[in-house]
Amino acid sequence: MTGGPEVLLIMPARPEGVGVVRQALAGMADALDFEASVLADMKMAVTEACTNVVVHAYDSDSGMLEIEMRASEAGLTIVVRDHGSGIQPRPARSEPPALGLGLPLIAALSDAFELRGSAGSGTEVRMTFAYTRDNDPAEANPVTGRVGIDGRWDPEAPSQGAPAGG
Amino acid sequence: MEANPIVLDDTAGDVVVVVVEGEHDIYTAPTLRERLEEALDRGGGIVVDLTAATFVDSSVLGALLDARRRALEASQGFVVCVGDTVEPGVQRILDITGLVPVLPVVRKRDDAIEAARTNGAGE
Repeated sequence: MTGGPEVLLIMPARPEGVGVVRQALAGMADALDFEASVLADMKMAVTEACTNVVVHAYDSDSGMLEIEMRASEAGLTIVVRDHGSGIQPRPARSEPPALGLGLPLIAALSDAFELRGSAGSGTEVRMTFAYTRDNDPAEANPVTGRVGIDGRWDPEAPSQGAPAGG
Repeated sequence: MEANPIVLDDTAGDVVVVVVEGEHDIYTAPTLRERLEEALDRGGGIVVDLTAATFVDSSVLGALLDARRRALEASQGFVVCVGDTVEPGVQRILDITGLVPVLPVVRKRDDAIEAARTNGAGE
């Protein structure tokens, strides 16, 4: 059952909030017994999930970003939620558009990952991180693809290594 | 004053070093893009020094990749350096995206400056 620390953050979905979420996460992880490498992965994955909300969820600055962190025996589960346009993202509000690496990174860095959402009811990214790891999740879910000529990540392209064209 | 500064260092002459310190994400990526633009406008080689960076996300990678593409188009050298002891918040994203050989990424600033100078000279 629960019993571990729980945190709920609700803030405007703006770029300046993403670093605040990282600070809160670092504070919470301090109270738990995480390996440094897992903490680094958590910060990266949560940053990418929050960035997706900031960039894609809303068409103005008025939408909210919600982050829930709940510790259990298995690890820390972090939920990043919005109440925006749903799982089919709006075009990026940022200019230039985002690279498109967010979800592949989250999948590679978390020990478990789930994406929920539907049109009009917002999106929820649920990630779980174990306190210690026997295996690197990035080996099970590697980031595939490479940067395309348009500057966005192309997950279908052959992986990096060859010259990146363009 | 600035907690996460991004400054241009001109001391290497024909190569401009963009020194990135602290944590960088979607909030600071626009500033990084501005600095990279300034560096590109100088016309010489460009080194992005992440030695004192503690965290970079995909917004930062996007800015670096755009600058790299523009540098290549203009025959300007472009190299990233990370120092000898790289923070996990920097190394990890470079490793799992396979971007080390692409950007490219080297350890030492001097090596990066030399490489950026050579590439920019067009051999």
